[in-house]
Amino acid sequence: MAHANLPKSLGRVVGAIVLVLAATFALAGPAQASAVVTTYKDDNGWQLRVNGEPFYVKGVVWSYTPRGENYTFNLWGESDEHIRNVLDYDFGLLREAGVNAIRSFAMIPPKWVTYIYQEHGIMTVINPLMGRYGATIGGKWVPFTDYSDELTRATLKAETLAIVQAYKDVPGVLMFALGNESNYGLSWSSFEIENLPEGEQNTAKARYLYSLFNEVIVAGKKIAPNHPFSIVNGDIQYIDLIAELVPELDVLGSNVYRGRSFTDLWAQVDEKLDLPVLYFEFGSDAYNAREDREDQLAQASYLKDQWQEMYHKAYGNDEEGNAIGGFVFEWRDEWWKYLQEERLDIHDTNASWSNQAYQFDWVAGQNNMNEEWFGIAALGLPNADGVSAARPRMAYDVLAAIWEIDPYAYKKEAINQHFAGINMDFLELKGEVRALRESTDESRKTLHFTGGELRLEMVMKGEEQAITESGENGVEFSDGQMVFLDFGFAPTERIDGQFSVNILGNVADTEPLEIQYGRRGLPFEVVIAPDGNVRLARAETLTDRERVEIYDFNATYEGDRVDIEAFYHTPRYHWKYEGDFFGLIRETTDIQGMDIWNAKAPSGVEMRGKGALDGLTFLFGPEVYWGANPKWVLKYDFDLGGVEYTFIHSEDVARLDDSATATQATERQSRQTTIYAATDVADGVKLELGGIISATEKVDDQFDRIEGGNVILDEVELRDTLGFKGRLSFDVDTALFGGMAYVATNIGGLVADGGDTLREFGTRLPYSAFGNKEEYEAGLMMTFGDYTLFPRFLYRTNLVDANPSIPAEIGPGGVLFPGLTPRNRDDDPFAVLDNREARAAEIILTYDPTGATPFYAWDNDMREDAGFAYNIGANYTRYPTFTDTYQFFFDEGGTNAPFGAGLPAEDVWMLSSRMVFNPNVNARYIVNAMAGFDQSTGDPTGGTRRFYELDGKMVFNQRHVLEAYFKKDAWGPYDFHRQFNITYPEQLMIDYSILLDHQRDQLRSTQIGLRGLYRSLDENSPDNEFLDGDNDYLAQLHFYLIFRF
Amino acid sequence: MSEKNTHGAGPARPASLVALLLGCAMLGATGCDGRSANDGTNINQILLPSDTLLNLACAEVGIGPETCVLADPENPFATVPVPEFDVNNPEGETKFDLADDIPAGPTGAKARFYLWATALARRPSGENQWLTARALHELYDANSDPLIRDQALKAYRSVLDNFFGSVTFFECCGGVSFPGTLNERVADDLYRTEATGYERLVPGDPVNVLSLFGEWGYTYRPANPPNYDDGLVTINRG
Repeated sequence: MAHANLPKSLGRVVGAIVLVLAATFALAGPAQASAVVTTYKDDNGWQLRVNGEPFYVKGVVWSYTPRGENYTFNLWGESDEHIRNVLDYDFGLLREAGVNAIRSFAMIPPKWVTYIYQEHGIMTVINPLMGRYGATIGGKWVPFTDYSDELTRATLKAETLAIVQAYKDVPGVLMFALGNESNYGLSWSSFEIENLPEGEQNTAKARYLYSLFNEVIVAGKKIAPNHPFSIVNGDIQYIDLIAELVPELDVLGSNVYRGRSFTDLWAQVDEKLDLPVLYFEFGSDAYNAREDREDQLAQASYLKDQWQEMYHKAYGNDEEGNAIGGFVFEWRDEWWKYLQEERLDIHDTNASWSNQAYQFDWVAGQNNMNEEWFGIAALGLPNADGVSAARPRMAYDVLAAIWEIDPYAYKKEAINQHFAGINMDFLELKGEVRALRESTDESRKTLHFTGGELRLEMVMKGEEQAITESGENGVEFSDGQMVFLDFGFAPTERIDGQFSVNILGNVADTEPLEIQYGRRGLPFEVVIAPDGNVRLARAETLTDRERVEIYDFNATYEGDRVDIEAFYHTPRYHWKYEGDFFGLIRETTDIQGMDIWNAKAPSGVEMRGKGALDGLTFLFGPEVYWGANPKWVLKYDFDLGGVEYTFIHSEDVARLDDSATATQATERQSRQTTIYAATDVADGVKLELGGIISATEKVDDQFDRIEGGNVILDEVELRDTLGFKGRLSFDVDTALFGGMAYVATNIGGLVADGGDTLREFGTRLPYSAFGNKEEYEAGLMMTFGDYTLFPRFLYRTNLVDANPSIPAEIGPGGVLFPGLTPRNRDDDPFAVLDNREARAAEIILTYDPTGATPFYAWDNDMREDAGFAYNIGANYTRYPTFTDTYQFFFDEGGTNAPFGAGLPAEDVWMLSSRMVFNPNVNARYIVNAMAGFDQSTGDPTGGTRRFYELDGKMVFNQRHVLEAYFKKDAWGPYDFHRQFNITYPEQLMIDYSILLDHQRDQLRSTQIGLRGLYRSLDENSPDNEFLDGDNDYLAQLHFYLIFRF
Repeated sequence: MSEKNTHGAGPARPASLVALLLGCAMLGATGCDGRSANDGTNINQILLPSDTLLNLACAEVGIGPETCVLADPENPFATVPVPEFDVNNPEGETKFDLADDIPAGPTGAKARFYLWATALARRPSGENQWLTARALHELYDANSDPLIRDQALKAYRSVLDNFFGSVTFFECCGGVSFPGTLNERVADDLYRTEATGYERLVPGDPVNVLSLFGEWGYTYRPANPPNYDDGLVTINRG
């Protein structure tokens, strides 16, 4: 149940791990003889036997995912030392409780299966998921596995048998189990099956699933005759099909959430299958959704009742006798389950499904199953070895007490006596004390300190002119100190949050080479304007401004009908995967980028409806994404006739009064309304359509344009506010390659401005948020095994062209020829800027042998686990026309100012490559190379630039980090450099740092480092740096210590 | 997409899709409609006003940062680029070239006002403010409208209040440019008829101008003949 909604990424993770392991270990011989595991039956019932001895499974579902990580976390990619530390810690606790077997979703490498067995005596179920969360078939990722497809069946069978081959002789292997509630995931589309009556469709699909299971089991038994084969079924759905189609099944494996009792399941299996029953998941969560609190007693008492029944149903108790044990779901809480890629360091209390069998917190119409609270141990912070601690709950102690006896050794009366003797009051107290102790340590207090960091830095900087003139005295020295203090709060069970306070000491003078957070403490000159008392303006210098500030803030409230989140300078994601087809809500995740300018976006409040209000979202705030005007946004998702719709209205209530960066122009107050629809029109064919009405406030605004040499004064009309967007994507399956193709169009009236287009797979196509365009796009993604070739094309033309610059003239008799100037977005209702006419072609070749860590994922730098993965891309764009004029924010005037001239027509190009090397678990290299010919994003002065860039990052022993870049004739590192077309002949940066603690994470570890920066200068560099040729370079050495606590 | 609200009794997918396609097609068909030669108004030739009757577009038109002149339907320069001097393009056309081409005398006075008021609205500067004031002064000279007189005085005062230290450049003596302080120019324009040849805005004895300056918070020490280049305007303290 717990993984029923996992995205395809997990499937990729599992699939990739399976393949790698299979390939790696298939040829490896057994380290020593493995156990012979069999099932046994006589009149007293069924037993599982290991080397001939009865073995009642006292198991848990085991996984290891630290806070802040999710399903992509791969423990097995860590160093052997760290893996040993983790296993010794976890399995030490498990062994102490009496656990004798585990089931794990992640495929544990053979040597660690053996380690767990030999060091801790605990056996492992090998559990190939067989396409449960998607599979790579014929080189193409298929999210919903079609078990009727012959190629799919052959592929899954081959992969699974490779795993069986790899593990068959591995000491510690208990059995093989196939799938995970695969009967709940029969979601593939097939016109053949959909022609059947609705009630028969899934049954038809299930027949394909179970027949494949049997095929694999038959073949698997030939490879591994010494181990039983099971399946992991969702409850006993399709039990008749199992009886019919899986005759070779040894053990009926099932995930069951029926509450305190398994009810008639024993009898059903006994009657229809006559097989032993092994639960691969069961149990209870430890969170009381009705009372909003951790509920250790409820979890423990449910588990106690479940195990008591399982003992009764074991061999020799005069009942069905088919219980051979089970795996409690689960060992430790997983903090990623809710949202899966967000809030990974927060223990969410969101209940995501309803189950009436859990009466302790069930309320009609409300969810009560809390996915992140199923552990019999809570997930703690890392200990001194860097291992995430486990805080055993009451259930752990109760299970330890239960597992003290073997059901095969006692009769029912003795079993009942034993269960009755478990002191629940004492164990509850024990669990509560542990929880209390933990809360004292870290959380669940009204207000508590959670950590922080202290940054110390010393900077030496100099420039050629000063050093030449003054020698050593030309070098400037400064130092800086900064402290972040992090606090959490949870005044009630429904409210929790955090905030950080930033305190400045000295501010190191690193400009112009580096602009850093903390500029607010730099000396600042203000001009006091004349008024009734002050007749002349005068300047004052402030040196102690804003030394203390709230750096960020986030708080959530979980209600019955609505969840509310208040946010201030914490990352937020776009809504493009939630129906925001026009990209109105932009992503704001570059917190460090904002810090450069002391920008405090995003800030606002989001309310998401639940229950009767499900699908409704209301967002409002002063800057809900970086650079947004104060606005409110209403979104409603609904389904009508099988088509998914999303309605969005966004309304600015004011205009941002300052630039989002140093010089980024602000935008006029506006509004947009969009409607989006998406549906699968055929097997593997998806159609997305959207309409927009934008900037209706500009209707009747005047603009001028040139037509046939005449200057025309025109007005914006209602039709100019309308736009349309469509995209048709479909699977492509040929003999040569698998893949995907798409065609798209985006047509927008003169002022039909939207937002950011979703950029996927590393594209650099010249998308634009603005209207005034007719745009067509197409692409074909071709996958050849581990290689993907993705050519894309974009064609765009404008409805009204940019204005040339034609001076006004006054002729004889006072006749005025008005002339024209390039438009800008403040004085005119629209301007032709990056929405200019374009013809772009792009091709990207990607090599990524481990699809489980997608190469274009935002965090691939951290996640990529291939030995070597890379891409090579080329983009060529023809801009046949010039633009209107861009604007910049003129800080002194507090307003936008146009550059006065547009960018000229030009053909630009870009070549780029990204490479990731993982030669071993202790080293990682990431290299980016780029060469290009491109224009500025504002000032045309200086022309189009040809530039080269090379940057890289190397991590050794997870402790030494070396980062560097070299750029030739490239723009400087900040946005305004490109906006004002400021380039440098050479830019060089080298940064070496050491992580001083065990966290091995650049964002969490205490770190000491040295960074060197160098820039040479020429006439394209800033005048106040180049000094008319008197200054050749700038250089800086930056020593830093970041102590994190 | 997150979970959707499902209305099971809704229309079947094909019907819903067709409706959606039609709606989007309509949006696309109307939104993508560009412009043809028949759209808009040809403004290739705008006849500059030659009368001297000026309707003030708003109370502060031509004063300081007020931009209502840009929305004045009578303003022929409302959509016209009025280029400032560009140091990077010193030979380029400027606002002075346009001003030079406006007919001299009363028939061009109103057009001059619109030109300089437009320039001021686009770029608030002492120079544009002073030239706007002068244009209003010229209009008053032509039509003796007391409203225009008051507006001209407001415009002159704005030079002092908003752009006190501003200068403009004059050319003389074979193309040599020299700066002139605008506060003194304002005083001269009001104090001495010789400066412009226009009718006085402050009637009566020129000493009344000194009183007016006092009311405005300034002190004017008039310039002396023969060159009239040693006048001084100062700000009254306190």
